[in-house]
Order: sequence, then C-alpha cells, then structure tokens
Amino acid sequence: MGLDYAAVEKEVCKKMTAETIVSMIRILVFPGALFLFTLAFFYEWVDRKFFARLQNRYGPLHTGPHGILQPIADFFKLLSKEDITPHASDKLVFILAPIFYFALPLTTLFVIPILSQTSLISFEGDLIFVIFAFTLIIITVFLAGWSSINRFSTIGSMRAAVQMLGYEIPMGLVMVGPAIAAGSLSISRIVEWQSLNFWLILLQPLGFAVFTVCLLAELQFVPFDIPEAETEIVAGWRTEFSGRKLALLRLGRDLELVLASALITSLYLGGSQQFWLIPPIVIFLVKTTFAVMLLSLLRAVFARFRIDQMLSGMWKYLLPLAALQIILIQLGLGG
Amino acid sequence: MEKENEIVEKLKDFLKEKLVRATVPKKRRIFIYIKKDALKDAMKYLVKDLKFKHLSTITGVDLGGEIEVIYHLAHEGSIVLSIRLTVSEKNPSIPTITDLIPGAVLYEREVHDLLGVNFEGHPDLSPLVLPEEWPQGVYPLRKEHELEHLREITSKKSKREERN
Amino acid sequence: MSYGSIIKVPFGPQHPALKEPGNFLFEVDGEIVVDVKPRIGYNHRGVEKAFELRTYIQNIYLAERICGICSDAHTTCYTQAIEELLGVEAPPRARYIRVIIAELERIHSHALWVGIAAHEIGFDTLFMYVWRDRETVLDMFEMISGNRIHYAMNTIGGVRRDIHADMVSKIKKGLDLLEKRLKYYLNVVQTEQTILKRAVGVGILKPKDAVDLCAVGPTLRASGIKNDVRVDDPYAAYDEIAFNVITHDGCDVLSRILVRCEEMLESIKIIRYGLDSMPEGIIRVQVPMKVPQGEVVSRVEAPRGELIHYAKSNGTTKPERYKVRSPTLGNIPALCKMLLGGYVADIPIVLAGIDPCFACMDRMAFVDVKKNKEWVWTMQQLRRKYAKK
Repeated sequence: MGLDYAAVEKEVCKKMTAETIVSMIRILVFPGALFLFTLAFFYEWVDRKFFARLQNRYGPLHTGPHGILQPIADFFKLLSKEDITPHASDKLVFILAPIFYFALPLTTLFVIPILSQTSLISFEGDLIFVIFAFTLIIITVFLAGWSSINRFSTIGSMRAAVQMLGYEIPMGLVMVGPAIAAGSLSISRIVEWQSLNFWLILLQPLGFAVFTVCLLAELQFVPFDIPEAETEIVAGWRTEFSGRKLALLRLGRDLELVLASALITSLYLGGSQQFWLIPPIVIFLVKTTFAVMLLSLLRAVFARFRIDQMLSGMWKYLLPLAALQIILIQLGLGG
Repeated sequence: MEKENEIVEKLKDFLKEKLVRATVPKKRRIFIYIKKDALKDAMKYLVKDLKFKHLSTITGVDLGGEIEVIYHLAHEGSIVLSIRLTVSEKNPSIPTITDLIPGAVLYEREVHDLLGVNFEGHPDLSPLVLPEEWPQGVYPLRKEHELEHLREITSKKSKREERN
Repeated sequence: MSYGSIIKVPFGPQHPALKEPGNFLFEVDGEIVVDVKPRIGYNHRGVEKAFELRTYIQNIYLAERICGICSDAHTTCYTQAIEELLGVEAPPRARYIRVIIAELERIHSHALWVGIAAHEIGFDTLFMYVWRDRETVLDMFEMISGNRIHYAMNTIGGVRRDIHADMVSKIKKGLDLLEKRLKYYLNVVQTEQTILKRAVGVGILKPKDAVDLCAVGPTLRASGIKNDVRVDDPYAAYDEIAFNVITHDGCDVLSRILVRCEEMLESIKIIRYGLDSMPEGIIRVQVPMKVPQGEVVSRVEAPRGELIHYAKSNGTTKPERYKVRSPTLGNIPALCKMLLGGYVADIPIVLAGIDPCFACMDRMAFVDVKKNKEWVWTMQQLRRKYAKK
C-alpha cells in the first residue's frame, strides 16, 4: 500500500501544466490570436488588391511581394502616430471603444471551427453567441461615435444604430436556418452535419443571399457604408480616432472581415472539412478567401444607398425573404 | 441687326429723355446708358415686356469720382443688353433688382463688396468674397486703392492670424 | 426623419465632398435641410485687379490660370474680347482649332465630373473607370500642345499651335475609343439601380426657378430649357457646325448626368466634323500691343455653362477694367434652391450636380501677398523656410 501521493500529485500537475500550455498555445498562437491577426492582415490585402483590380487599379504594390505586407505596415505606422483624445470627448468610453471593437470579433472567432471540425470553444448555443456579438459590435460603434462629441461622428453613430435596426432581424432569422437543418445551435455541429450531408448553400440559397447582404451592412461595405460615408460625413463615427486607437479600429475591422467570411464558410460552404488528403485548414482558407472576394466584388459594383432607402429596402424585401427561407425549411425544403 | 434696333427703339419710346445713349456695336450686343432714377422702371420693362429674363452678371467700374454699374442681361440667351448707369462715389446707392430677378442676389453682393455700391432693399449685404475682418470702407476694386495698400491690409491680416 | 431640433452643420471649407474650399452652412432638422447659407471667397486671388496691372499679352496667361479645368474657355473668351477691341479676326483655321480644343476640353471636364458624381454617391468603381478613359483626352492635349491641363493654345489673333495631319488620325482613333466607352457609361447610368435610387428626383430645380435664379449651362439644360451660347451667340467656328443642344426635363441629378454624358457624345461629333472640314491656312495674325479705347462683352459656353467677360480698354497696353463671371457663381443661387428640403445624405451629389469650380468663382479683387511672394521664391528659399519649421 505504498501509494505515493506526492508522486501522483506531481504527475497530475505535470499533465495539467502540459495541457494548459497546449491550450494556451492554441488560444494565443495557432489557431488562436496570432494566427487570426495574420489572417486578418492577409484578408485585408486580399480585399484591397481584389477591389483595386476590379476598379482597374493596382492596389498595394510596394511592401512585400505584390504589397502583401502593406496592411501590417499600415498598422505599425498608425501605432507610431500621435494619439489624440479630444478634450470634449467622454474619455473612458472613447478609450475603451477601440479595445472592445477589436476584442469582440477576436473572441467570437474562437467559436468557429478552423483547424478541424470542432472549434476552440464549442458549446450548444454558440450560434446565439455570434448573433449577440454582432449586435455588441454595433453598440460599440455607436458608443465610439457618440463619445467623441463631433458632429460627423454623432451623425455617423446614429446612422450605424439605425442601420442595425434594418439588417439585424433578417440576419438573425437566416442564421437560424442552418441550425434548424442541423438540429443544433452549435456551429461545430452545423459544420459536422454539412460534411455528412450537403453544403447548405445548395439547400438554402435564399438564406445564403440574405446573409451575404446583411454581412455587407454589418461590415459597413458599399452599398451600406452609410455610417462612414466619406463624401457626406468625413469618416463618420471614426472621424476623431487617431494613432493607436485607429490602428485597433482597423484591426478590428479586419477581424470582422475574417469573422464574416468564416461564418459564410461555416454556415453555408461546409466549413473546414477534410477533402481527400488536403487538411481541413487549407480547405477553410480557400473557402474564406472566396468569401472575402465575394464581399469585395459586391462592394465594387454598387453605389451607396441613403439611410432611409436602406431601411425600407431591408424591411420590405430582405425580411420577407428571410422569413420565406425559414418557412421553406419548415415545409421540408432545404433542411 | 433688325431685332437689336427694334429693341432700342422700344426702349427709347418707353424711357424717353431718361435714356441717355444707346449703341449697337455689333450683332447681338446692345449698350444702353440710362439715368439713375430710371433703373427700376427700365428693368421692369426689360424683364416683363421685352423678356430679358437672364441676368448674366453685374459689373462695377470705377470711373474716378463716379461708379458705373452695368447690368448684363440676355434675351433668350442670344442678345446681350448691357444697361448702365453711374452713381457718385460719395453716396453710391441704387435700388436692388432682386425682387425682379432673384438671381441677382450674389452679383449685387459682389459689387457691394468690391466697389461699395449700396443696393437698397437687398436682403443680405454681408461680405461674400472678402474675409470677415476686412476693414470697413475699403473697396479693393476702386482705383484709389493701389496694389501696395491692399497688400498692406492682407499682410497685416496674416500677421494677426500668425499671432493668434 | 425629423428629430424636432435644428442643428447647424457646416460643410467646408475643408470637407471630403468639396475638392476646393467653399463653405455652406446648413440648418438641418433631423436628416432634412431647412436652410442654406453659402460663403465663398476662400480662393480669392484678386484676378480682376491683377488684370488691370498687366499688359494684354500677360493677361492671356493670367486668364488661363483662372481655372484649372476650363482654362481654354477663359482664354477663348479673353482673346476674342481683345480681338474685337482691336478689330481683328482670327483666321478660319484658328477658329476651327479653337472649337476642337474647346470640345476636347468639354469632354475632359464632363468626364471628370461624371467620375466625381459617382464618387459622391459612393460608386468608386465607375469613378475609376471614367477617369481612366479621361486619360485618352489628356493624352491628346499633351500631343497637341505639350500640356495636359494648361494647353496655352489661344493667343490674341489666333492660336499658337497647329493640329497636323498625323495628329488628326491619332485624335480620331482616340475618339472612337471614347465614343464606345461613353456609350457604355451612358447605359450604366441609365440602368444601374443604385445610381437611379440616388439620382432620380433628387435636387429638383423647376424650369421657372432655373430661369428666375439665372442658372446656366448643363444645370439649366437639365431643367428642360434650351440654352447654349454656342448656338444662341455663336463664336469661333460654331456658326458653321451643326449640332444638337441636349436637354432633359427631369430637373433632377439624373438629368444633369444624362445631359453631360450626351453632350460628350455630341462633342465627339463636333470634333470629328471640325477635323474633317478644317480649312488650310495661317493660324494667327500679328496684332499691335496697344488696344484702342472701347468696351466689349464676350461670351463663351464653358463646360459648366455661360462664361461672360467684360473688357474696357483705355488706349494703353493695359485694360482699364476686366470683369470675369464664371458659370459656377451663376449657379450658386440655383444650387441653394435645390438643396432646400433635401436629405443631408444628398448634399454631396446635389452640390456636385452643378459641377462647382471654386477657383473660377472666387477670382476677383484682392491680392494675397503671401501667395505672391511664394511665387517668386526659389526652391532653396522654400526649403530653408520649411526646414526651420
């Protein structure tokens, strides 16, 4: 009966430390934060380059091969710039807003399966969490604009809030579509279901279309870049931000782009699944790059809507379409 | 030139002795000299009866002691009639024509800015092209102001701005 | 969307929608504009006073620099005024070359505007494409005159450079390309739903208001009124060339876009005709330095509308008084009318709708001493000054 309690304890501790280190690496390096930052910068480059080529321009050209390092260079340049906090602004909110704006999409990306069919953090109902996070991002945008006490920022943040009222509900509705089909509110389970059955874009094309349009609005891309319409209200809600804060806002925007493309991939394009011998991560990257290019293409071919036109369009056309998709699923089509 | 002469004849009949001189130097150009107090009547007649609806611009000229105000009107876009009158530099005041031609608002303000002609009844004669802190009573297009003098004013202004 | 309280929103002098300084103070009730107060003069360079201080020859170059876009319209207006005072006439070939340059300039100015209008409504792709094709015209200018913007083609008594036969074929080739592209853009503008959403029924200017407020050029023609100095009061060789005056009666921004697009196509026709029927001969006549006493009103249809110059000479080598009224100033009252009752989001496109050119507009009377000095500074002096800061 010479059980060495101390040795067992030591063993357990060792195991735990190893596990902690592994999970720390997973969260901080791969496929966590560091990997996601790289991805964010890469997708900004993809977006800029593809958008520029569509417009018959060259886009980023000089930093790195084909300008691939330009977004990183921009980021570090902004970090070194003077950081101005306006006197009249609500300082606490003004400082916190960029941090939230960058942290929210980053956190949300952890529930999306990237490396394999299960994500870093997965629980029943993480889809609801994603919907909630999208709302929080816009509330952060609103607070960021509102706290800077600038006419243009105030108008921009008001527009962001009003715009959210337009696209939030159709987006929430269509995001439930895949969940009904897979019979689960977990994104990992939806991806798993798709690998066993069909890609959901084939079953719910309507839902895919509505979701993409709503994501354009969420990302504030043309034709829904109303909250930061350059020619109307300067930079909208971002007018007063500079230096490090602006750098964080830009990184946050890029992470949001990653989140949007990852969601399109996971919910409608089958997510990260093994295909022959190709590892899931490669499949995931190819699909998300396609999603980013789809979003850039859409933002290149439209003119900006007016806020009232956007709202009425969303309620008149997109919401009924989203509802129709859900009804079709209930009737047994697309699920 | 028939139409031009016809217009001149009509104006002669209407204004009688208040029309000082009328010339038709070439096709589609008429110059009319009138007396100061006939402006309102002449304008009304030109705009309402002769259909000179378009006001191209108003020119002010400093003749030395007198300021000449020229209204360039156009008839259906083709015949340009320049109707002119002189006011004394001491009391340069004439009635506004904005009630007849609303488009004259900015032109009158411009002439007021640069030559100091006062248009009675104009809704708003605040500076249009000159800066807010421009000294009162300095009208840059009057011949009495040499270029050097105007430069002094602007340099004083920019020095003040540098101090602030 | 009205929130019941009125906010004053300044627009300019520095604002991304205005590429040049001008200030408009808007009183806004929610998203609706209830009052507009224009304030101009930020680009006031004292050109009119400067005219009185320079000789007639020097003034050609000054007139060229009133505006960067319609530089040729100003010199055409200036030179034909002085020619009339002198009693000389430009030779026929010079008059045709003036027409060709003027129409090329119209295409380049309108193309520039279409790009800007697309940018104002957030359609950057169209903006990039139109500006890419505008390069064709700028290349033609470079070939003819050596310059892309300030062509310096006009002089008193004719033009300074000839258009040779080898240029003609190159210009024609460029025009074919332009015509194809312009027809495509015309189609895009008429069919693209997001453009129509932003342009139809926006910035209404009724015909009666347009006439009362003395609007000029495409702004007036987009309100359905046929008015064009080229036809009504022909100058250069326009009386020998047949062309249509484009009008649209939508009275809104879309009509203004369509009028300009179709005018470009019409300009191409005029240039082709001009190139084919240009008479042979000299391109300029010698003129004396002194100009006899007299006065003259000279009008030109600049790309933005009627441009009027008034010149008074006193028998010396310098003018007694020179007055310039550019089309933008004539359109400002009409612009204020269009903006009233519109949405804040529509301000940029309505503002851009008249194709404002503030450099032309603010030309008049005082001389900025700072700028004058900077002009004569050498590069080293400049470097020294800014190295200190």
